[in-house]
Amino acid sequence: MAEITLEKVVKSYGAVKVVHGIDLSIAHEEFVVLVGPSGCGKSTTLRMIAGLEDISGGMIRIGGRVVNDLPPRKRNISMVFQNYALYPHMNVRDNLGFGLKIAGEPPATIAARVAEAAEILGLTPLLDRTPAELSGGQRQRVAMGRAIVRHPDAFLFDEPLSNLDAKLRGQMRAEIKKLHQKVRTTVVYVTHDQVEAMTLADRIVVMRDGHIEQVGTPMEVFNHPRTAFVATFIGSPPMNLLPATVSGGAVRLADGTAVPVPDRLKNQAREGQRVQLGIRPDDISPVGHGLSQDGPGAEVELTVDLAEPLGMESLIYTRLAGQEVQAKLYGPRIVQPGERLTFRLALDRAHLFDATTGLSVRAS
Amino acid sequence: MIRALRTRRVETAPFLLLTPALITMLFVVAVPLVFSLWASLTPYQLTKPATLWRFIGPENYRRAVTDSAFWIVFGRTILFLTIALNVELLLGLGIALLINRITWGQRTLRTIMMFPMMFSPILVGFQFKFLFNDNIGIVNNALQSLGLTDQAIPWLVDARLAMFSITLAEVWMSTSVFAILLLAGLFAMPRDPLEAAKVDGCNAWQVFRHITLPFLMPFAYIAMAIRSLDVARAYDIVAVMTDGGPAGRTELLWTVIARVGYENAKMGQANAIAFISTLLSIAFTWHFYRKLVAARRYMGGAA
Amino acid sequence: MTEVVESAASKRLKRVALTMLTFLLMVLMCLPGLWVVLSAFRPNREILAKPPIWIPETLTLDNFGKIFGWGTEQVAIPVGSYFANSLIIALTSTVIALLIGMAGGYAFARYSFRGKGSLFLGFMLFRAVPGIALSLPVFMIWSRLGLIDTKAGLIIVYVSLNVPFTLWLIDGFFRQIPVSLSEAAQVDGCTRWQAFWKIEFPLARSGIAAAGVFAFLTSWNEFALASQLTRSTDSKTLPVGLLDFTAQFTIDWAGMCAMAVIIIIPALVLTFIVQKHLIAGLTFGGVKG
Repeated sequence: MAEITLEKVVKSYGAVKVVHGIDLSIAHEEFVVLVGPSGCGKSTTLRMIAGLEDISGGMIRIGGRVVNDLPPRKRNISMVFQNYALYPHMNVRDNLGFGLKIAGEPPATIAARVAEAAEILGLTPLLDRTPAELSGGQRQRVAMGRAIVRHPDAFLFDEPLSNLDAKLRGQMRAEIKKLHQKVRTTVVYVTHDQVEAMTLADRIVVMRDGHIEQVGTPMEVFNHPRTAFVATFIGSPPMNLLPATVSGGAVRLADGTAVPVPDRLKNQAREGQRVQLGIRPDDISPVGHGLSQDGPGAEVELTVDLAEPLGMESLIYTRLAGQEVQAKLYGPRIVQPGERLTFRLALDRAHLFDATTGLSVRAS
Repeated sequence: MIRALRTRRVETAPFLLLTPALITMLFVVAVPLVFSLWASLTPYQLTKPATLWRFIGPENYRRAVTDSAFWIVFGRTILFLTIALNVELLLGLGIALLINRITWGQRTLRTIMMFPMMFSPILVGFQFKFLFNDNIGIVNNALQSLGLTDQAIPWLVDARLAMFSITLAEVWMSTSVFAILLLAGLFAMPRDPLEAAKVDGCNAWQVFRHITLPFLMPFAYIAMAIRSLDVARAYDIVAVMTDGGPAGRTELLWTVIARVGYENAKMGQANAIAFISTLLSIAFTWHFYRKLVAARRYMGGAA
Repeated sequence: MTEVVESAASKRLKRVALTMLTFLLMVLMCLPGLWVVLSAFRPNREILAKPPIWIPETLTLDNFGKIFGWGTEQVAIPVGSYFANSLIIALTSTVIALLIGMAGGYAFARYSFRGKGSLFLGFMLFRAVPGIALSLPVFMIWSRLGLIDTKAGLIIVYVSLNVPFTLWLIDGFFRQIPVSLSEAAQVDGCTRWQAFWKIEFPLARSGIAAAGVFAFLTSWNEFALASQLTRSTDSKTLPVGLLDFTAQFTIDWAGMCAMAVIIIIPALVLTFIVQKHLIAGLTFGGVKG
């Protein structure tokens, strides 16, 4: 059983703490993605799980064993590095079989497992080539093949798709997901790209400045962000945040515009509380061109600053309460800059975040 | 508990790896240098071993710096080094610029350019001793055959000519180092500022003076610093070409050391002079290192 | 129209002139060496001839045979022994310096620790000590230890002469290898030691070879220390032998030239093989720090 548990894990470089006591439980065969901006500690955490960084405090368990003092080779994990780290002086076959050779497996086993991994990843015709003779996507697959060949307890991925161009990234994302369905092993995956996180993860771990902001399924994190940071980090284009105050049962924006407090938050919002109103572009649309027209909503007239047509939808830049806000128009209608339209805000999908703590109002 | 051990283990690895290097340098260089310092403070003579244990303080140094003959040699050494290094820099720059312009056969040129570097200084000295021999040397033979002179010019005997010959040998040997480093600098230079300057209306000389040269200065200083470390290799050249003679006309600091220490057996005195020569090398290197740091800072934005 | 054609032609002319000038320069640089090499193949009487014989009339290998003591004429310079000594001393000191340099270079490249900068500076400063200056105390100590006129004595000194530069070169070469390769190997099941030998060492091999050539040439060409620490054919090296030769036999120029050729050949061959790396090694990290 390959669960991974992190208990109050801390990482310090001298006097500087970069990971501040995080707790996380990863279940057997689960695909967990650590996501966050650069410097948030996600790679450091991954490397601590791998054993490539010492653990300054706390405990890490893999499959029930405490691994704090075990070197990487004793932890039975595999890692796919950002720059693939293929051994340049060996061909693909030897790259794949290297780990097994070190472990002393008999040549027959090595050959069989290498062939199996090559088959799964479509590498069979490339076995005799050297890394220098491979394309970026092919190298990526060899790196993954090297990982699966050893049948480890867990796969660790350190931003494996960052070096690929956008189109290739999309392809490889799908391949990684298919691979996980075929080779059901625990995965810990690090990325700064929230699209990768959303599409690949069973659960997402959003990190910032060495802390965990939220753990949840992609839908949980998207629909119920725990903090303003998570709200704006997950989802593209990012959620709009408008400073406001709760007063007289309504949310008053900077220019006085009053929006009714969403029903589900009525009991949580305090009178006088300074908040940020969070609403995704998908949830602000011109009337008649939105995702859904029923449920609680608020209507407001806004002038279009700019419209970016994306095909069957357009991204609209406009101003609300003196602040730039993005909205979405669904449908083929072309909108001109300067047009004045009535927009509908879907209140059942709006959020309130405390202005000081950043915590979502429902959470407090 | 075990955790602490693990952290410590990682710390000791580099020191374990460095131990052989440290031991070697300590016992073969550091300890002898300390011993040399001690010896320079004694009147030690090889023929009277007991004198090693008598402490006379900086007497040897005082004797050296109050000796006018010492200062002549010292001055000659500094003049020699200054001229040699500057000539090497200029020639090296010229050669690098030339090679940079050539596209056809450049690799061959680069290999040929490195030719003099492979020569042991002793070989360089021998080579020029052979060339400058007043009787059968090719230089005199050529001059006579061309009718430019009918005398056998005493390249290795006349005071000034001998120093010239030695300097020529040194320049021949080490210009390549400058040429290689400056060529590397030329290769590393970004094209954009050059093109911008040309668009701005600069002619070739202005481009060189305002764009190329400043960029190359760090490379020039590195070359100077590296050469300063090695500068004492000139000893080999002098030893075989003239051995400081005739009659001390080409005596440099290093030949003095050999003479005082080994021929006259005055080890104490020799060690003092040796220290002075070491300080000279370090002074030169330090000087150029400082200039290098300053030049790098200046190039910070562009390089 | 004609203006354009003219400038194109004059440009070409300039380029050709430049190329020729450069090649001429190169030839001039090589001339001294070439003259020595040529003279090594001429009989001594031709070299001493007055008026000078410019075009060689006879070419012979006798000079080489002579100095090695083969053939009919015996020369009292045991070049064969000197050659053997030089070879043994240079090879041994190179191998040892490489091993030490690899260990130290790896430490510098892969670890950060306090005092790294000053340690590096210290190593480099040792090089500023002139050979002849170092020879004095080493001579005094070596004579007490009985290491004068032994190959071992010279080998030990040469190792320390080579360690700083070898270490610096190898440090540079290891830095070029991404750390993630070693990490990948460790995740794949290697200990750090295994990862080094199976992954990092093979990749740095050519750089280490270049460092080895540098060290070999330094030992092969060294004179100042060798001249004082050796006494007899037990340990005398070729450079010392050459000086002895010039001091004794200033009339057997052909023989001396032959000896010079013998000294230069290994250097030429080795340098040619690694010339690419020599340039890289000299400039690597130089400006970028």
